[in-house]
Amino acid sequence: MKKMIFPAAIAVLLLILPVMLTSYGIKLTAEVFIMSIFVLSLGLITGYAGLVSLGHAAFFGIGAYTIALLGKFVPNTFVLLASAIIFAALIALLTGFLFIRSSGAYFLMITLAFSQMLYAVAYKLKGVTGGSDGMSVAASLDFGFGPISGSMGLYYVMAVSVMICYVLLRMFINSPAGKAIIGVKENESRMRALGYSVRSYKLLAYTISGGIAGYAGGLYAFYNYFVSPDTLNWNFSGQVLVMIIIGGVGTLFGPPIGAAVFVILQNYISSYTERWPMIMGVIFVAFVLYGRGGIANLLLLAWRKISRRQKEINSPALNSSEKISKDETKGVTEA
Amino acid sequence: MSLLKVEGLSKSFKGLQVLKNVSLEVEPEERHIIIGPNGAGKTTLFNCITGVLPINEGTVSIQGKMIADLPSHTRVSEGMSRTFQKNNLFGKLTVEENVHLAVTARKSYRFKLFKSLLSYKDMQQESQDLLKEWDLWERRNQTVDELSYGEQRLVEIMLAIATKPTILLLDEPTSGMSPAETIQTTKLIQKLPRTISLLVIEHDMEVVFSIADRITVLHHGEVFLSGKPEEIRNDQRVKDIYFGGGALQRAEA
Ligand SMILES: Nc1ncnc2c1ncn2[C@@H]1O[C@H](COP(=O)(O)OP(=O)(O)OP(=O)(O)O)[C@@H](O)[C@H]1O
Ligand SMILES: [Mg+2]
Repeated sequence: MKKMIFPAAIAVLLLILPVMLTSYGIKLTAEVFIMSIFVLSLGLITGYAGLVSLGHAAFFGIGAYTIALLGKFVPNTFVLLASAIIFAALIALLTGFLFIRSSGAYFLMITLAFSQMLYAVAYKLKGVTGGSDGMSVAASLDFGFGPISGSMGLYYVMAVSVMICYVLLRMFINSPAGKAIIGVKENESRMRALGYSVRSYKLLAYTISGGIAGYAGGLYAFYNYFVSPDTLNWNFSGQVLVMIIIGGVGTLFGPPIGAAVFVILQNYISSYTERWPMIMGVIFVAFVLYGRGGIANLLLLAWRKISRRQKEINSPALNSSEKISKDETKGVTEA
Repeated sequence: MSLLKVEGLSKSFKGLQVLKNVSLEVEPEERHIIIGPNGAGKTTLFNCITGVLPINEGTVSIQGKMIADLPSHTRVSEGMSRTFQKNNLFGKLTVEENVHLAVTARKSYRFKLFKSLLSYKDMQQESQDLLKEWDLWERRNQTVDELSYGEQRLVEIMLAIATKPTILLLDEPTSGMSPAETIQTTKLIQKLPRTISLLVIEHDMEVVFSIADRITVLHHGEVFLSGKPEEIRNDQRVKDIYFGGGALQRAEA
């Protein structure tokens, strides 16, 4: 019961947030939600399965282009979004089957190469994709209550989507398969010795991750009503990797925080100065050097401090500093 | 029929031949110990039997079924399980989470996607029984990294047993343990049900002779001698090998 308070509070906050925001703020927050879904997907394979990809934009782009290309023929939103998910997941399954043999830097390179290949295809196939000009999305976002195009409508679609993805992923990482994936990240050879098929679990995580990224891309196509090859570019893959490192690898709520910080800072800072990439670079390096575990970890430590103080106030006799230090070291793996 | 049968197994690393034509058998219920000086190829033999390393020549079978070409992880469903000479655990996970993973490994629901692992009562019960049996119940909420070395060695064995093997391979189960821990562990191994046949690599002669039904001596990658404990104990050549390798001195001290 107590565990539910925090997520419930966040859900309520997300639902009433638009009241406090300008219409620009609402639109921006909706974009944060889309990016959050995308970083959740990358966070799953990076933080839980230990697969660091520099080509995850491939699946986002596949989702986005699915909506743009198929939308001309099938105007149904449910069918389109489902296709975006299934198509991205299928490509993830097929490429994962080939790529997952390699690990570490090799995996990074091969995922990068694959996404750049898709980028080149989208760029070159002018007749189909519009090439560098991109293409507009013909279908409108409609769940049966009429087309949704205003920022408020988009906001709620994205907010509900991110919550659903979060809850499903939370359930997944607590499931037998999810726990096994964590085991694979921790110690592959032991998992094999216990009888787990390490490759199957990595492939499972990669496929689910691809599907979620495809969903994010699909939502983005509806959000923007325009799709360009930039959605497939390694630049974009790199950005989401930065988001999850700032937010906190190996947690579920860290990456969305990283996405929020990234998108909001990018918007405000780049309206003042053109040096945004440099400033982001500095923030990123600072987190890699000094902030291991990202914002999520900093929040957890702060939370522990607060709850410790609370405990001390409630029961001054109980002052076991030894126990607390142990709690702190455990924090990162728990979350 | 023997439970585990290794025949004519050879293995070399880039021209260095580490195992030469090794044959050995483990009968049902048998406790078979492998001894031999450092570098004799004992761990390599385990890696070949369990499929961690590919073999160059020979066959490995369980209850008559050839398994030498099966991928490593599928041998667990044939009833084979092992421990490692160097602790090979989930250090950042708690002791309980370690056992959960091991117990779940052979469950039909190990691929379930959305139901919580903790909701499986049979898994919880088996885990609890193991933790109590191996005297790690009090430690269950600590991460494995926080345990003492000896306790980690116990987790190592506990995980291997959690997959319910019919043939269990233990690679120096008591190495690095204090004398008290060694005695405790030896007792726990002795208490294992006979439905689990054992193939154990061990240097500590006291442990060897208190467990063994049969002993095989491996020397320079070859089976030097195999026989009943008394035969091995009184064999002058075995003593010579060990004095050469220096291990028996440690054991007799
Ligand atoms: N992966 C490997 N690559 C190359 N050589 C190896 C490899 N593994 C083991 N060896 C060599 O094979 C020989 C046998 O090693 P192994 O670990 O099997 O011995 P052991 O009998 O288990 O020794 P110990 O009692 O020290 O554990 C050694 O000379 C070792 O250096
Ligand atoms: Mg060895």
